[in-house]
Amino acid sequence: MTASSPWRGALPRLAGGLALILLPLVVSNQYHLHLASLIGAFWILVAGLNLVVGYTGQLSVGHVGLLAIGSYTFAILAGKHGWDPILTTVVAGLVCGLCGFLVGLPSLRLPEFYFAMSTLAFGLIVTELAVARTELTGGGVGLPAPFFPGPLGTPSGFYWLILAAAGLVTWLTWNVTRFMWGRSLVAIRDSPVAAASVGVPVFRAKLTVFVFSGVTAGVAGALFSSLQSYITPDTFHFELSLFFFVSIIIGGRGSILGPFVGTAVLTALPELVAPLAKLGTFFYGLLLLLVVLLVPEGVGRLVQRVIAALRPPVVEHHAIRPDLDRLRAALRAGARR
Amino acid sequence: MIRAGGVVLRAVGVTKEFGGLRALDGVSLDLRPGEVHGLIGPNGSGKTTLLNLLSGYYEADAGHVLLDDLDLSREPVQCRAALGVARTFQTPRLLGSLSVLDNAMLGGWPDVGASFVGTALALPRARREETEIRERARALLEGLGLGYALDRRANLLEHAEQRFLEIGRALVLRPRFLMLDEPAAGLTIAEIDYLGEIIGVIRESGVGVLLVEHHTDFVFRTCDRVTTLDLGRMIAHGTPEEVRKDPEVVRVYLGT
Repeated sequence: MTASSPWRGALPRLAGGLALILLPLVVSNQYHLHLASLIGAFWILVAGLNLVVGYTGQLSVGHVGLLAIGSYTFAILAGKHGWDPILTTVVAGLVCGLCGFLVGLPSLRLPEFYFAMSTLAFGLIVTELAVARTELTGGGVGLPAPFFPGPLGTPSGFYWLILAAAGLVTWLTWNVTRFMWGRSLVAIRDSPVAAASVGVPVFRAKLTVFVFSGVTAGVAGALFSSLQSYITPDTFHFELSLFFFVSIIIGGRGSILGPFVGTAVLTALPELVAPLAKLGTFFYGLLLLLVVLLVPEGVGRLVQRVIAALRPPVVEHHAIRPDLDRLRAALRAGARR
Repeated sequence: MIRAGGVVLRAVGVTKEFGGLRALDGVSLDLRPGEVHGLIGPNGSGKTTLLNLLSGYYEADAGHVLLDDLDLSREPVQCRAALGVARTFQTPRLLGSLSVLDNAMLGGWPDVGASFVGTALALPRARREETEIRERARALLEGLGLGYALDRRANLLEHAEQRFLEIGRALVLRPRFLMLDEPAAGLTIAEIDYLGEIIGVIRESGVGVLLVEHHTDFVFRTCDRVTTLDLGRMIAHGTPEEVRKDPEVVRVYLGT
């Protein structure tokens, strides 16, 4: 979102993308590939949530509820009723977009803390409903979720499908952040008063972004349930919501790469390093505490700082000296009809 | 450009109370295109309250805010911004993590027609608007003397740079009316002179400027008309010469 060329950093991005595409050909361990797919599915949710939390500054801790709705929609429609899995994934996105609208409509008008509380309540309600509505969700026993058909059902095929969806969602959110909408979202986060003063419809923009995060959560839920192949209400424990939230805060607000790295590290670390898995939620809590105390702007910003420190910018002192002719011309060029 | 003698922004008999305290009591003021209107008065006289009523942050308890024949009294801030009513703040409200150029570009929001979905898909409309607003913001910032700082993070700016950037953001909105809340506060003498020149150019372009200021020398030097408030009431109104000599103004505000 800076004035510099959009092509800056294109090479590392290209290389990173290529590495992700070739991953299934390199990784021999099926479990590691499953883990990569899991990161991708989670990232689809976090990428959307990142616009809500990281850019707009609305602290939603209830997205596990939307993930659950997306997962159950998939398991019920594609599993029980035999719908086409691809179509069902899209439907899950739409259903969760609608849920996002219904949740956001009353709650996004509330002040920060109360908004966070209502999303928390929403997350808990969904899990309880999943247990209670046995005829629909299978209750505590759960539901099987089908694989995708044909080559998409293989571990590599499914990985590529998730990668494509994740790539698409990342591209969408990147576009939102780099154009005028991105500036208006950051303005809502950092100074709602300034946002209103230039005409940003604060509530409507918050709701729009929240609905979008609902859609991505629904798609993520559908892919997640197929990846897990069986879902129960326990799958959607509240720590998962915490995990999404912490990924963004640790990665850094107002960045896309930071929360992506956060999601990948937080998903993979407890799985690959056995002692960390035992710590469970304690690990997230500790990490969150460390980041908030030491680098409140997130690890992504820390990296930027280190780079900046190695290459100190030349900030010369300039006295402001207006160029009145230039100003006159600029005002004339921009005048209203 | 606005027609000569075009749209007027007007407060008509506005009253505003805060918990029984009457901050403004039946004040009227009109802001004409191509004119700088000064608003002075002691602390707590209701200057900023009036500015907030005009820009829509407060709703008047009585009286009206009109843009020509259009009654804005119940319209939100956003609607007034879209109609070309821009403002700056006593304490600059900038987005510290964004660049100077990004901050100024935010002022272009009323010109954004691209929807959220259109933006997410990077449709041509979103790209075109982005380019237009970027070029406009760049030109205005260069005119304001901030051309050297376009890529700097706004939280690294010095005080005067922040003030001028806020004016830049308001100008990117292509305002009909610009309301400046104590823009000279904290500026050096040289910077105040620049500010005066900038306001002169803005007036010349047909924009109506409301200047809320404590710095009376600057106000009398810069304004075409001056209104003085005291305890929420208007005590004087006229040309700088008239107001400067008004015995009531001298008594409550200027001193002898």
